[in-house]
Amino acid sequence: MKRENKVAVGILVIGILVLAGYWFMPQSSEVTQTEKPSIPVEERVILPQYEKSIYQNIPEVQNYLADIRKMIQKGQAILPLQRSELDSNAQKVQVLLLADPEFTKDTKQGEKLLHNDMMRILPAIISSLGEKSRNICQSHTCYQAEKYNFVTNTTTRAIVDTDTLKVLSVERYSGMQPDISLRLTHIAQAIALNAPEVKKELGFTPARKDITMANVRGTMKESPCENTSHLCVAPTFSDHQKEQALWAVVDLTELKLAAAKWAGLGKTATPACIGERSLQNRYIMKHFCQKDSFLEKNGWKITYRLTGSDGLEIRNVTFRGHKVLTSAKIVDWHVSYQQKGGENLDTSTETYIEGRRVEFVKGEDGNYLFGYNDAMGCPLFSTSVVLAFNGPQVRELKNGDGFMLTQDFRNPKWPMACNYRYENRFEFYNDGSFRVVGVNKGRGCGDNAIYRPVMRIDMAVDEKENFYSYDGEWKLWEKEGSEKVQRSFLSNSVSETSEADRYAYKIVSAKDASRGYYIEPNHGQFNDNSRGDNATLFVTRFKSKEGDKDLLTLGSCCDLSDDGVERYIEEKEDIADDHPVIWYVPRIRNDAREGHEYCWADTVIGEDGNLHVKVWPCTVGPKFVPVGKR
Amino acid sequence: MRKYLPVVLSLIVIAVTGYLVVNKKKENHSAVTENRVSVKSVGTFSPQRSCARPPQFLKQLNIAQPVVIDLSQKRFKGIALLYGKQFQKALHPKTWEQYGYFGTYTVDKTGNIYLVPMPFISIFPTTFNLQKNIYKLESKTGKLSLFMHFDDVIPNANNPYGVEAIVYDCEDDTLWIAAIDESDYQRQKGVIYHIDLRSKQVLQRVEGFDALSLQLLRSSQGKYLLAGSARESALYAFSLSKGILNEVPEKLLTLPNATEHIRKIKVKGKNRLELQSIPFSYALIAQTGHRDRTYYNAVWNEKQQQWKIKKQ
Repeated sequence: MKRENKVAVGILVIGILVLAGYWFMPQSSEVTQTEKPSIPVEERVILPQYEKSIYQNIPEVQNYLADIRKMIQKGQAILPLQRSELDSNAQKVQVLLLADPEFTKDTKQGEKLLHNDMMRILPAIISSLGEKSRNICQSHTCYQAEKYNFVTNTTTRAIVDTDTLKVLSVERYSGMQPDISLRLTHIAQAIALNAPEVKKELGFTPARKDITMANVRGTMKESPCENTSHLCVAPTFSDHQKEQALWAVVDLTELKLAAAKWAGLGKTATPACIGERSLQNRYIMKHFCQKDSFLEKNGWKITYRLTGSDGLEIRNVTFRGHKVLTSAKIVDWHVSYQQKGGENLDTSTETYIEGRRVEFVKGEDGNYLFGYNDAMGCPLFSTSVVLAFNGPQVRELKNGDGFMLTQDFRNPKWPMACNYRYENRFEFYNDGSFRVVGVNKGRGCGDNAIYRPVMRIDMAVDEKENFYSYDGEWKLWEKEGSEKVQRSFLSNSVSETSEADRYAYKIVSAKDASRGYYIEPNHGQFNDNSRGDNATLFVTRFKSKEGDKDLLTLGSCCDLSDDGVERYIEEKEDIADDHPVIWYVPRIRNDAREGHEYCWADTVIGEDGNLHVKVWPCTVGPKFVPVGKR
Repeated sequence: MRKYLPVVLSLIVIAVTGYLVVNKKKENHSAVTENRVSVKSVGTFSPQRSCARPPQFLKQLNIAQPVVIDLSQKRFKGIALLYGKQFQKALHPKTWEQYGYFGTYTVDKTGNIYLVPMPFISIFPTTFNLQKNIYKLESKTGKLSLFMHFDDVIPNANNPYGVEAIVYDCEDDTLWIAAIDESDYQRQKGVIYHIDLRSKQVLQRVEGFDALSLQLLRSSQGKYLLAGSARESALYAFSLSKGILNEVPEKLLTLPNATEHIRKIKVKGKNRLELQSIPFSYALIAQTGHRDRTYYNAVWNEKQQQWKIKKQ
């Protein structure tokens, strides 16, 4: 073989070997993926810890609210776009539409003006045009304008021929939100930048340049707030190095931070995953339903958790090292409504109101009672219908003499009719006293409701305890029993000490009667506008299955002679020198009379043209006061 | 010069081959990458004629079609059949209330209606036991009875749900059923059962998926069991071959609202599904009315290989 041929064969062989090697060599990107697998970012939820009033000091928000108030005072309902957001045609369109009866038709409810914002005015987009408009707009210049009604959660879109200054069409989209104005964008950014929760999470004070505004509504998609009756947006703070972003969900109807969430920068961080309600639910489940939490404050040590159907429960409570409580909680709210016409009542088939099965009980004087049993608890995986919102909160008491641990429970549609809102609250005082409190915030199905929260209180004064009631002298309860909590004997017992005068009951150590707690029923003396407890008190012997774990709904909603606890005292077991458990069932009648509202809520259109929920809470529950000083 | 021709030719051959090899490899790589991000397709599909027949007892009662099955629990507990002008008349014997509240149903080729239970607003002493069963409304007699009991379905205070979804398979006279009782906040432990109607034998048991709704779909690529997830706002597809379910589902689409879960799946047109969603959180349901549900059209675009989802 000639030399040249040998060289050619050599080139072919080497070339083939190199190409074969290249073919089987992994691609660079695959290698990178293998060497550096993407690390899933833990999705962490942050719920707001501050009242919305903190955002009203932000200049952008202050100016906006002032402009709305001025506008409503002038008898106008649509806040126009600022000139800086409009070209000359758009300015003409705005003037035309603000005077157009069809465009402004939905801005009044009776005599009340409803707050609307003009959101954007821009050259018409072809996909927004109907057939008629499309024909005209082929030869004329057309603009589209969108306004948003904050009260009815409705977007109105108008198409205007700017050559002839004629309104071609006006369409309304109920339950839809438009793209927001530049002014609202700045307000949303300002709220996100000023939110203490955001600063804390980022670890620095962010600036406007750190924000990217999430493109959450290309046209008229759902808002990221799952409370879809509100207008919400999600400004985002991205950390590209850590491949994560902090999404701040801002509610522009309420002008506050609704929630925030750390999430990865990948495709999973879509707005659909960051709704306010689902963020809350995940946060509540992870922190308060799946594990116990612990609070140490002012000498108190408290373990607490949210239950599946018994609301907020506190456990293993101590004060300055002394055991106080094994457990306290509200296991149920019985809700009944009184109606006349019981003689004609047909109870042979079941009745439903707003999708709820209604239980009827015939009463005296031709009255009858109907209603429900409401269980409160965790928002997911529970047997509750009134669900935890926002997680437990710790707040100082008004008088500065202690603090409270409180949890808000709501039907998601509250304050609409036949929806309920309850607060479970435990007040802890600096002198070692505490109070178990139930708060009802309406609104229910009518103005004739009777509410009965069932409170279970398992004290931990000692291993063996005794329970006493006071009727001029302290009387030991030998056996399980119940009684209406009376007030009359208190004022008559003038011969007794002032201490015994105030307290109807006490529970003390069987070994040492100076260790224990007096029970002070609420007669309205706690300065919380309460009209008293009107309670029934039960004392039972401790049994694990009688409420130490989660109790499903207990007893009848509507039979006022049955609070549910009666079933535990049928055998009248001995409780002296034993482990008594106290059940306390207040009875509250609601009131919807103007000026006398109680256990009631109403939605009204305020002076600013926006919806405001007015709440008239009713507060019940006994206070426990230490017998001896700690 | 001619003597170098073999060398030049060999260089040209290597260069051309190299070019082809590099391009081919790039092509393959990008194909792999695209495949990774592409949307899962079940192929094209159209509505199939159902084998379901109306219950025979309606004829005996002179009740003409159309008849609506009402499980809303708003006016009637259990099941009611609505008929007449604007469906104002109702057939609802008291005995149809005896097993509590029903969530959904399926109808077989002889008109028997199979119902699955639902816990509703309050828990009663019987609530958890009722969630362990499938019920049958007999086509000939209209008698409601317990059809099948599942010992391994155990609802509890932290998850009151049991048997939750059902669909009848016309092709082999079987039922597909889903139970979600074993799941908790951390773990998805739902079970899909394949049941032979005649023998009531469990033919297959697939664990690890919480289905809130089931529907059978025949497409250009084969047969699928579609399942609306109880845990997320997504629709999944299990492929079916000779009556055996592939245990690993593929996610088809996700609804825009994270709290909405697909409760009903209907094939409404060529490549078009109607999805009915409800807010679902494994807590008790209080509202079951029409306004508490959301309806979506999900249309499969075969060319673009993507789903277009629009609220109705």
